[in-house]
Amino acid sequence: MASTACFMIVSKNDIPIYEAEVGTVPKKEDAAHQHQFILHAALDIVQDTAWTTSAMFLKSIDRFNDLVVSVYVTAGHTRLMLLHDSRNDDGIKSFFQEVHELYIKTLLNPLYLPGSRVTSSHFDTKVRALARKYL
Amino acid sequence: MADPENTKLGRMLLDEISPAVMVLRTPLVEESCRKNDLSLIEMLVPFSSFRNIDVPVRTASDQPYRLREFRLRLFYNSDIRQRSTEAAMERLKQVITYAEDKEISELCSYQEEIEPVVMTSAQELVPSWFQNFNKELIDAAAFSEHEAFDHPVACLVAVSSKDKDPIAKLVDLFNTNQLPYLLNDGAMDPKILKYYLLVHDNQEGMLEKATGILAEMRRTFGANDCHLLCINSSINGREEHKQNPWASHKSSASNVKQFGCFLNKDDIEELRNTMHDFSSKHVIPLMELKIRVLNQQVSATRKGFRNQIKNLWWRKGKDDVSENPSVPVYTFNSTESQIRVLGDYAFMLRDYELALSNYRLISTDYKLDKAWKHNAGVQEIMGLAYFMLDQSRKDAEFCMENAFTTYVKIGSSCGRNATRCGIWWAEMLKARDQYKDAAGVYFRISGEEPLRSAVMFEQAAYCFLMSTPAMLRKYGFHLVLSGDLYNKSDQIKHAIRTYKGALSVFKGTAWSHIRDHVHFHIGKWYAILGMFDEGIKHVLEVLACGHQAKLTQELFLREFFQIIQETGKTYEVLRLQLPVINFSSIKVVFEDHRTYASPAAADVEESLWQALEEDMTPSVAGLKSNWLELQSKILPKKYKESNVCIAGEAIKVEVSFRNPLQIPISVSNVSLICKHSAECDESESATNGSLDEDKNDKELRTVSITGETSTDASLFDLSEVNISMRGGETVLVQLTVTPKVEGTFKLVGVRWKLSGSVIGICNFQSDIIRKKVAKGKRKPKKSVKDNLEFLVIKSLPRLEGTIHSLPRTVYAGDLRCLTMELSNPSKTHVKNLKMKISHPRFLDIAAQEVMNLEFPTFLKKQAISSRSCTTLDPSKTAKTAFMFPENIASSWQTPIKWPLWFRAADPGSISLYITIYYETEDVSSIIKYRTLRMHYNVEVLPSLEVSFRISPSPSRLHEFLVCMDATNRTSSENFQVHQLSCVGDQWELALLQPIGSDLSLGRLLAGQSLSCFFRLKNCKTRGSTEDNISSLAKGIANVRLVDSDSSGLYDTSVSPFDLFHHHERLHQERHGQGNGGTVDFILIAESEDDTNSGPPRTTEILSHYTCHCRVGSSSPVWWSMDVPRSVRHDFSSGFCEINLSMTVYNSLEDAVSVRINTLDSLTQSSLVTSTAGVSGNEVGWHDITYLTDAKVTSDAIGARVGKALSPESVSPFIWSGPCSTRFNLEPLSSAEVPLQISVFCQGTFDLSNYLLQWNLLPGDRVDDGNESTVRSGSCHGHPYHITVLQKE
Repeated sequence: MASTACFMIVSKNDIPIYEAEVGTVPKKEDAAHQHQFILHAALDIVQDTAWTTSAMFLKSIDRFNDLVVSVYVTAGHTRLMLLHDSRNDDGIKSFFQEVHELYIKTLLNPLYLPGSRVTSSHFDTKVRALARKYL
Repeated sequence: MADPENTKLGRMLLDEISPAVMVLRTPLVEESCRKNDLSLIEMLVPFSSFRNIDVPVRTASDQPYRLREFRLRLFYNSDIRQRSTEAAMERLKQVITYAEDKEISELCSYQEEIEPVVMTSAQELVPSWFQNFNKELIDAAAFSEHEAFDHPVACLVAVSSKDKDPIAKLVDLFNTNQLPYLLNDGAMDPKILKYYLLVHDNQEGMLEKATGILAEMRRTFGANDCHLLCINSSINGREEHKQNPWASHKSSASNVKQFGCFLNKDDIEELRNTMHDFSSKHVIPLMELKIRVLNQQVSATRKGFRNQIKNLWWRKGKDDVSENPSVPVYTFNSTESQIRVLGDYAFMLRDYELALSNYRLISTDYKLDKAWKHNAGVQEIMGLAYFMLDQSRKDAEFCMENAFTTYVKIGSSCGRNATRCGIWWAEMLKARDQYKDAAGVYFRISGEEPLRSAVMFEQAAYCFLMSTPAMLRKYGFHLVLSGDLYNKSDQIKHAIRTYKGALSVFKGTAWSHIRDHVHFHIGKWYAILGMFDEGIKHVLEVLACGHQAKLTQELFLREFFQIIQETGKTYEVLRLQLPVINFSSIKVVFEDHRTYASPAAADVEESLWQALEEDMTPSVAGLKSNWLELQSKILPKKYKESNVCIAGEAIKVEVSFRNPLQIPISVSNVSLICKHSAECDESESATNGSLDEDKNDKELRTVSITGETSTDASLFDLSEVNISMRGGETVLVQLTVTPKVEGTFKLVGVRWKLSGSVIGICNFQSDIIRKKVAKGKRKPKKSVKDNLEFLVIKSLPRLEGTIHSLPRTVYAGDLRCLTMELSNPSKTHVKNLKMKISHPRFLDIAAQEVMNLEFPTFLKKQAISSRSCTTLDPSKTAKTAFMFPENIASSWQTPIKWPLWFRAADPGSISLYITIYYETEDVSSIIKYRTLRMHYNVEVLPSLEVSFRISPSPSRLHEFLVCMDATNRTSSENFQVHQLSCVGDQWELALLQPIGSDLSLGRLLAGQSLSCFFRLKNCKTRGSTEDNISSLAKGIANVRLVDSDSSGLYDTSVSPFDLFHHHERLHQERHGQGNGGTVDFILIAESEDDTNSGPPRTTEILSHYTCHCRVGSSSPVWWSMDVPRSVRHDFSSGFCEINLSMTVYNSLEDAVSVRINTLDSLTQSSLVTSTAGVSGNEVGWHDITYLTDAKVTSDAIGARVGKALSPESVSPFIWSGPCSTRFNLEPLSSAEVPLQISVFCQGTFDLSNYLLQWNLLPGDRVDDGNESTVRSGSCHGHPYHITVLQKE
């Protein structure tokens, strides 16, 4: 498992709708905003690369120092973004695919408004479990 | 792409890679120049670059070309060396600080909203000092031994005409110990071109002397290499230049006009000529010559196949020899050096093809020699040459990258070269619109040194901005990175500048951590600079950061208070986010004609009250339509729309505050901001302009300031509340304001003090309006805005009322006597008191006399005679309002007390609404009447569940059997069932079995149930025939179920029992009643006090009403047989004739005709139907004595029936009277019909073989078309057994 990893789901309006620190290293005080900065900046790259490929998994598209950003773009242009420091493309891909499935299940919930924050605790525990499994 | 020379990089290269000239001068020369506030070089610089020199140049090829532009770089001999790290740093800092000074004014005045970045042109955003900064960085790498273009091409030796022995001085100047190391250590050829300049100060000496020296110089050094330069011809030193040539070259901000003040036009012309002469006649020809010479040498030694092979051989051998990299391997006369010089000279003279071919040549050599630094240098210049040739971009980029990576690999010693290479590379990419790549290069340039990295990050940021499409997020991120580094290197102003730029991207972002970080740091830095207002503005943005970790929240809050403390005053903040106000929950409670006894009453929906008060208050519509009413004209129209409140009565505002943080905060002095104005001077504009937000905010500020002055304090009273909120807590604060003077009054907002240092102000109106706009369409119901303006009128009487000891929870059926207390503190008279209660089933008005009586004992039977209670007409009180007697309110010295009956009718929770209407005597007032509204909630728990079943007694007419099932539904409470009463005079109730046989009859423990049987007799019908009995039976409608003598029976015919009975009757009304009458029961129980230790509480009475219990069978016509049970007859004397009489009763309101048919042949079918009819109609309550009789004779019946089945057998008895009797029955009357049977043998006989048919007599009543009413019917006879025995 990656020592630092920050997972985030960004809606198509560029609003973060889910965030989770899934690394093994305890979260540092200033890490939260740094991770947000990196992921936010990586959106610019996603914007460019997303339309150049038909694949949903864009692999690592951006990096900052030793942190790499991997992105998975769903058909609805919701972006699953992972900031990590380990290189395990297969694991990350599986992780993204399973989280995508979870996210679709959330979308199917008639009470969930697409584009709003994902607050389900069930979703959260599932994502963390997946992170432990694949990352 | 445009011409490479015209790009930024092209210009840069033309400037930077140009021939360097070493300047040697005596101190006296410098002194002369100083007069103009210029050094010698500074004086010469403007004239050393030539825009249109137009010199023909011929290099290696025979074809000459013309050089349009040319520039010389002048350096003092002391400057021709690599700068120390400290010096380089110092110069960088200077540039930055200078830029900072220029921008501080901008920062201070920077108040307006940040424009979106996309709107403004990207070029404008890029600070201009970047160029200077980059130039400093590039200059820092100059004069390296591995490149030749920085090596001086020529030397300018200047002496003053004042110098003693100028010739010696000239020689002396060129002394080796003053020369730069490049010349001394062999990196370059020490034999360079020298140009001798004699500087003559016209103010200090005669020109003749100077010319003499010049002649001597010419003799010594050669005629061409010496020149006389006369300066300072202007005498007064006030020479002004239209376009000061020095202004653009000197960077310091000192007075521009000072430059060259002693130089007149002739001097300038001479300076220009000197430099022109120097460059075109000396430097360029020299370089041409050198290129040609070197080219020939290189061609001879290196060009051609043979030379290359030789070279390879030779290199291999050399490889092993020199492994020491610190020693400069290549001296000026080595072939490599010469090639490099050749290349550089060609580059400087813009023969890029030639330069490139030479660079290529040595590049491989350097690589083979593993001279990485030299190689990198060559790669770098190759890249630039490619660029200038505008060929093969890929090659150019490859070369630059190669050079850059090599420099970086070499390590710290080549850091500056790497930087310079990176800058050039980035510029190259920028020139080709590859901004994204350029940003990447800038990012790579940034090293450990924070200041340089900061600038590089910032440049990278601008690259992202300028790339297409603009990468705004990257831009923002890199600005923030750069800002952090600026902060690290104590350049706070630059840090703020970058963060501000980033803010334009991150403004309003949903990425909360980013937003908080940027705002917080800007705020902090502004505070460090002492610009507290700006600082607070930004820190305020992050205060409500509920999403942050607790530590961060604490940090933010601490920083905020620290800034506030530093300002040294209490700071007022509009729309402070801490605590958060929930605007949708703001509630204004005020009292106009509606007054509320409790806050709970104010919460009740207005429509409920209106429905309750509907017929009590004068209708509003009628008031308005009456055009004769003068009152409506007196009031301006405006006031009709605003609310009315009364001076001296508080307006309550409920505001809910929420603490978004996890840390506790203390909020003090929460109070309302109000505006009071006298009635007349209220201008119209105030209402119109309320939408103008800015104006409102300003207004609010002024109001809040004046709110503290004492003048307003006399107009209204404000309440102040202090609260402390835990993390995440929501607190509902009730604020009150009491206007004291008539006029108009407006609730403007709320203010509070956070932690005793910051005053938060919140404007209700503007915020609510804003919210509304955001929400879009909303139902235009009564908006909150209307609630904020009040018309204050003079004080009116206001009643206050409470109901004492109204229980919160009671058991169902609980009956109590309560006291309502009304008081009038104002002592002003009010009249026309009326009261209405929403649920008369639960609460009703009692007679005033009840007050003085002891409850519940006065309800007992004994007391009846001594009591003369004014019974209220229940039907009246139910619908209309209760009018208090006029005399009651004569004096308000003491509060009025009035009794109320309370009875918990149904289990469940019930809201009771009581409204009291009264009129004021003051006619002139706008408000004519007021209502006092009271609201109480009562929880009613289930207690006893009572059900009744009634079946007619088969043996007796007008008698019924009643089974009462009572179940105690409570979990702990015990009840004593006291009495059962049935309402009405016509009923007579008695226990089936006398009391005393079972002692515990009346006691019901928790969860227990009880069944009792009663005999119910209808006296009234009998009364119609027998009046004397009915009068007797009147008193027996109550049955005592308790065994104690001490407690008497309650009189259920008086209030409150009859009162509530009336309501219950209405409530329990059933539809589709059957025939026959109904009976209402009242079960009265007393709660039993289990605890002996407690104080003796008053007995609680529980009354349970069960109304409309149906009496009678399905048939409206009842009958009973009146026959002796057993007859003794001597059959020897013949058959026995028995006379029977049947009493038939018509329970209908119409006359019926009845026919009785007797059937002699007892067929099976009739028998079966009769039995079926019996079991179907009757539930099975029989006289017990009768049942035992039947059991005894069951055998006989069976035998008889068996016999009766055979058709031949003769029936043991026959009806001997008329087989059909027909008669009419008046409504509610009975008639007796004689019947006779003849019995032939002894036995027991069933006399049920008859049919009774009835039908309504037509005509009497108008048929209302009700189809459901049964018009006729027929019944089989009841089984009735008679035993005939042989007489002994």
